[in-house]
Amino acid sequence: MAVGKPIPMLDSVARVTGATPYMVNLRLPGMLFARVLRSPLPHARIIRVNASAAEQAPGVVAALTAADFDREGAPVLLYGLKDKEQPIVARDRVRFVGEPVALVAAETLEAAEAALLLIDVEYEELLAVHTVDAAMQPGAPALHEQYPDNCFVHAKLRHGDMDAAFAQADEIIEETFTSPLAQQTSLEPHTTIAQWQGGALTVWTAAQAPYMVRNTLAEIFGVAPESVRVIVPPLGGGYGGKGHIRIEPMVAALAWKVGGRPVKLSLTHAEEFVTVTKHAVSITIKTGVKLDGAFTARQVTLHWNGGAYSDASPQLIPAGMVRSVGPYRIPAVHVDSYGYYTNLPAAAAYRGAMSSQTTWAYESHMDTIAHRLGLDPLQLRLKNLLHSGEQFATGETLHDVHFEACLQACVDQLSWTKPIDQPDGALRRGRGMAVMMKSTVATSRSQCRVTLDGQGQVTLYTSTVEMGQGAHTALAQITAEAVGVPIESITVVGPDTAITPFDSTTSASRATNMMGSAVLAGGAKLKRRLIELAAPLLEVEPDELAAEDGAVYVTNNPQERLTYIETLGRNQLDRLEEEGEFATKLGLDPQTGQGVATPHWHQGAGACEVEIDTETGKVRVVNYAAASFAGRVVNPRLAKLQNDGNVIFGMGPALFEEMIIDGGQVTNANLSDYMIPSLLDIPETLHSALIESDHGEFHGIGEMTLPPVAPAIANAIFDALGVRLRDLPLTAEKILRAIMEQTHGND
Amino acid sequence: METIDLHLNVNGSEHSLTVPASRTLLDALRDDLGLMGAREGCGIGMCGACTALIDGHPISSCLMLAAQAVGKHIITIEGLAEDGKLGPVQQAYIDEAGFQCAYCTSGFVLTTVALLSEHPHPNEETIREYLSGNLCRCGSYLNIVRATIAASLKT
Repeated sequence: MAVGKPIPMLDSVARVTGATPYMVNLRLPGMLFARVLRSPLPHARIIRVNASAAEQAPGVVAALTAADFDREGAPVLLYGLKDKEQPIVARDRVRFVGEPVALVAAETLEAAEAALLLIDVEYEELLAVHTVDAAMQPGAPALHEQYPDNCFVHAKLRHGDMDAAFAQADEIIEETFTSPLAQQTSLEPHTTIAQWQGGALTVWTAAQAPYMVRNTLAEIFGVAPESVRVIVPPLGGGYGGKGHIRIEPMVAALAWKVGGRPVKLSLTHAEEFVTVTKHAVSITIKTGVKLDGAFTARQVTLHWNGGAYSDASPQLIPAGMVRSVGPYRIPAVHVDSYGYYTNLPAAAAYRGAMSSQTTWAYESHMDTIAHRLGLDPLQLRLKNLLHSGEQFATGETLHDVHFEACLQACVDQLSWTKPIDQPDGALRRGRGMAVMMKSTVATSRSQCRVTLDGQGQVTLYTSTVEMGQGAHTALAQITAEAVGVPIESITVVGPDTAITPFDSTTSASRATNMMGSAVLAGGAKLKRRLIELAAPLLEVEPDELAAEDGAVYVTNNPQERLTYIETLGRNQLDRLEEEGEFATKLGLDPQTGQGVATPHWHQGAGACEVEIDTETGKVRVVNYAAASFAGRVVNPRLAKLQNDGNVIFGMGPALFEEMIIDGGQVTNANLSDYMIPSLLDIPETLHSALIESDHGEFHGIGEMTLPPVAPAIANAIFDALGVRLRDLPLTAEKILRAIMEQTHGND
Repeated sequence: METIDLHLNVNGSEHSLTVPASRTLLDALRDDLGLMGAREGCGIGMCGACTALIDGHPISSCLMLAAQAVGKHIITIEGLAEDGKLGPVQQAYIDEAGFQCAYCTSGFVLTTVALLSEHPHPNEETIREYLSGNLCRCGSYLNIVRATIAASLKT
C-alpha cells in the first residue's frame, strides 16, 4: 500500500539541483517587466495622477492608472470578497503606505523602475488611524463610507445563559492579550505573469487558490470564467500569504492595457510587507470557574486589525471567532469577533491562521486560571479538555477528538512530573504547555480527474497547489492506493484551470483531507470501471471481482486475472477517465454562531522547557515536544517534517516577529530588521509526534503544532519566574522589564 | 548604461559576458547564464537563497557584483552533480528530507558543501552556527542538520 510509506517528495531531485520551476524563473517570449508606484502616505486624497511622461519614457510600453478604468470596455476597478472596496490601483484616495497608485510595463525592469519617477501624483494628506483603538474612537476618519465606525465585520457566538453561568462561578478571571502585526515572509516573492490573447487571459501565478484567482479575474474583466486560465507552478512557500487574490488583478489589468504581450511582476521583499500581513489583535478573555477547576462560562472579545481593505478578513474573522474558545468543556460561551479598518496593509491568513493569535490568549489564560486556583496546569487541562461525543460552544457534537492524547504525548516526552534541575547563577528554568483547536473551511469543494492509459500509467489532475508541504506526493500516494497501482505509475498534473478541475483552495490544512477524499472517490470509480470492463472477459459477475496491484482478479480465485493494461487492450480502449469529488456544506448561524463550524477539528499540542537569563531577559527553548492529530498519516516522513516545521516557524511570532509601524510606515520591511527563525533560534531538542486513530480519515497537519508554541513558552516563563507576559513577541526586553517590575513590586 | 566585458568561470566553464557594470553576480548567473538554482530571497544578503561558492566560500551572490567574481572559481548548485549523479550532500538532503518548498535549498546545499570542506566531521553546534546564515522559512532545520551529518559520514 502506497499510503503510509515514508517516500521522498516526488520531485526531490529537482529540489536539490535547483531545477524546481518557480514563478521567478518563468520567462515568456516578448515578456515585459512591471513595476508599481506606491503611496508614500498612509491616508490621502489623490488630487492628480499623471503618467503621460512615464508612458513616453524609453522602453516603456504602457502605464496604468485608475483613469484607464473609465474607458469603454474597461475592467472594473473595485473588487473584494464581500464588499467591492479594494481598487486595483487607487483612484481618488490612498489608504495605506504602499498602496498601488500606478503601474508601468517596460522592456526591462530598469526602464520600468526609471519610469515610475516620471509619474506625477499630488496628494492631500488625511488623518490616519493605525490601531484598532484609534479606528474605533468617535470622530476617527472612516476608511470606507459604508462603515462609518470602521468596523466591517462582527461575528457573534451565543451559547448558554451567560449571566446565570457567571453567577455560578467561584472566581471570574479576566485578561487581555495582544499579538502584533507580522508578515508571512515566503522567501519566494509574490510573482505573476499575465497575458491577453484574443479576449482570453492566461495568468501564471504563485497563488494558493487558483480557482479563486480565476473567478475573481473573470468578474473584474467581465468575461466567462473559462476565458481565464490560471496556471500555478510549485510555490517557494505560501504560509497563507498567497492564499487569496493579491497582485493578480493589477498585473492582469496592466497586461490588458498592453494588449497581447505577457507582463511579469515580481515583488521586492520590501513590497511583500505592504502586500499582506498577519492580523494584529487584542483579545480579552473572561472565564468563570469553580474552585475545583470546572468552567462555568467564558466571554471572549476580539478586535482584529484588518488593515485598509477587507481582503480575506470576512472569512477569517468569523473563523477567528470559533478558534478563540479553546478545546474545553464550557457550558456558556459568548464571543464577539470584530474586524476594523485601519490605514495599514490588508491582513490575512498567516500559518495557523487566527489560531496563532487566539491560542496565545486562551492557553496563557489557562495557566493564569491554574495559578489562581492553585491547580496544576496539566490537571486543569485534563479535567476540562473535550472528548469525542461532547458538545462544543457552536452546539456541534465533536468526533474523533484526541486533545488529551496530543497533550499527553508532549508532557510525557518532557518528563513533566520530574522536578526541574535549576541551573546556578542567573539562569532559571521553567516548563509550560498549550493545546489548540482549529477549524478548517466549513464549506468547500475539491474535484479531481484520474486517468489510466493503455500502458498502465495513471495521471491525477488536481488544482491542489504544491508549496513544499508535499501535497502532490501525498496525493500521488492516495491515488496509487485508490486505483491499485504502484506509486511509480502516478503522474500529478496541475494546477492549471484549463485542464485541472475545481478546488476551493490549498489552505487551512484542508488539501490532504478534502482533495485526498476526492482522489479516493475518483480512484474507486476508476476501479469500478475496470471491474465492469473485465467481468465479461473473465466470465464472472462484477461482484465477484476485485482490483489491486494493477490487475482485476476473481476474489475466490486470484489466479484468474486480467491486468489493467490487458483490460483496456481487450476492450480496444486507450484511456479511462473518472472524476472524483468531495464537498462539505457546513456553517454557523450568523446571529448565534450555532451550527457546524468545520468538517473536523484540527488538534495540536506543545510543551517545552525554557531557560531564562534573568540578567538579560534572553529566553532559550531547551526542549520542545509537539504533537498533532493526523487521523491517518499518508506519508510519515513528510508529515513529521510539517509537524517539526510548524514548531520552528512558531518560534518567530513567539519570540521576535513584529512589524514595526511608525506613522503608517513599516520601518523594518526587510529580513535584517524583521527576523525569522534561523538554526540558532530553534529548540535545542525537538520531538514531534503524530497521533493516529483506527480508521481515521486523512487530517491536515500543516499548522497544528504552531499555535501552541507561543503560549507554551510564555507559560514556561511564568513557571520559571512568576511573571506573566501578555503581549507578543516574548522579547528579552519585555522579559527583563517584567523581572524588574516584579522585583520593584516586591521591594 | 555603461557596459563591461568580463569572463566568469562558473562550474568549471569559462563564460564571456557583456553586462552593465552594476550587474550583480546573482543576475548574471540567472539572466545571462540561465542558472536558475540561485534565487533572490531577501535581496540584502540575509537569507542565503542566492548563495554561490566563490573559491570554495559561500557568499550571497545578490551582494556581489559580477565583475568582482572575475578570476575566481564560481560553483553553483548546477555544478554539484557529476555525470548525472547527485553530489553526496544533495543525496543526503533527499535521504534526510532536508527541504520543503526548497526555495532555500540550493543555498543550504552549497553552504553545507563549504562547511564539510572546512570541517569534514562537524559537531551539531558547528553545523548550527555555520548554516545560521541560511534561512528556511518552512522550518526544515532539524532534517538539514541530519542531512549534514549524514553527508559528513559519507565523505
